Amino acid sequence: MSACTGVFAVSCSREQSTGAEALQRERQLNQFLSEVERRALRIAEIAVRNRDDALDLVQDAMIKLARNYAHRPNDEWAPLFYRILQNGVRDWHRRQKVRNRVMVWFGRGPSSEDDYDPAANAPDPAGRSPEVELQTQEAMQRLELSIAELPGRQREAFMLRTFEGLDVAATAAAMGCSDGSVKTHYSRAVHALRDKLGDHWQ
Amino acid sequence: MNDPGNNEQIATQAKELFDDSVERIDAATLSRLNQGRHRALAELQRPGAVVRWGRWIPAAGVAAAAVVTVIVMRGPAGVDVTETPVTASDFEMLLEADGLEMFEDLEFYTLLDAVDTETNGNKG
Repeated sequence: MSACTGVFAVSCSREQSTGAEALQRERQLNQFLSEVERRALRIAEIAVRNRDDALDLVQDAMIKLARNYAHRPNDEWAPLFYRILQNGVRDWHRRQKVRNRVMVWFGRGPSSEDDYDPAANAPDPAGRSPEVELQTQEAMQRLELSIAELPGRQREAFMLRTFEGLDVAATAAAMGCSDGSVKTHYSRAVHALRDKLGDHWQ
Repeated sequence: MNDPGNNEQIATQAKELFDDSVERIDAATLSRLNQGRHRALAELQRPGAVVRWGRWIPAAGVAAAAVVTVIVMRGPAGVDVTETPVTASDFEMLLEADGLEMFEDLEFYTLLDAVDTETNGNKG
């Protein structure tokens, strides 16, 4: 009887321990996603130039991370999450190309990414003067357009390094390439942006 | 030409603008992000969850068959097909994700065609 009680107690203790670990894991993942979600949204939005699609991409990335990689060490989450997100963005661009081809087949013009209206998604003025607000919005729009025009890998390297603040190794893991490739893509991206924005930003 | 200081300045300015835009994301969007995060966290509670869009597979199959039928009967719409070949893999790719959405678009365009034809017919 007492042996049976003992086994039960050990079993309960193990379950409580597992439950506590799971709860802690959930809290940690919640914290990670809370910290990363807004920047991830803007990164995706700049890449696909559509807020709704960007929201879908970020949500899919969060779900895939939780479903498949929640058990991995916390410091691996950022590169994993961004790898999933970048794959989603690449798939989005592939689908968009195919969608346009199919639309042309049916005698319709390809849908334009320029339908995106940055002003419609502009944030509230937040107590700024109209002049400052306008300047900030225009600068951001120029930056977004310039980044959107970069080749895909350069865009990824620049946004992950500059906006998300990933180091070279984490960026390489997120992009699925070598450290050297990250440095090359990043350097080319910065040069291209300097050429595009230089006059405005001197 | 390759002034590292200048490059650094570009990156710094870009980061400042980006951070500013992140800080000022509207409440409705933040709410949708929050909902998305909770959906993701719910995945931790059900490890054996069925693939989300699995229930759409039969509908997607029917839609694909309908599209192929339309293509065979109708042919390309006055465009140079050598420049824009549409293959079965194209449809497969669309069906993987947002195919149904596109089929809704096509339905809408077909309706527009019908309206155009009607309007032109009445004029003539």
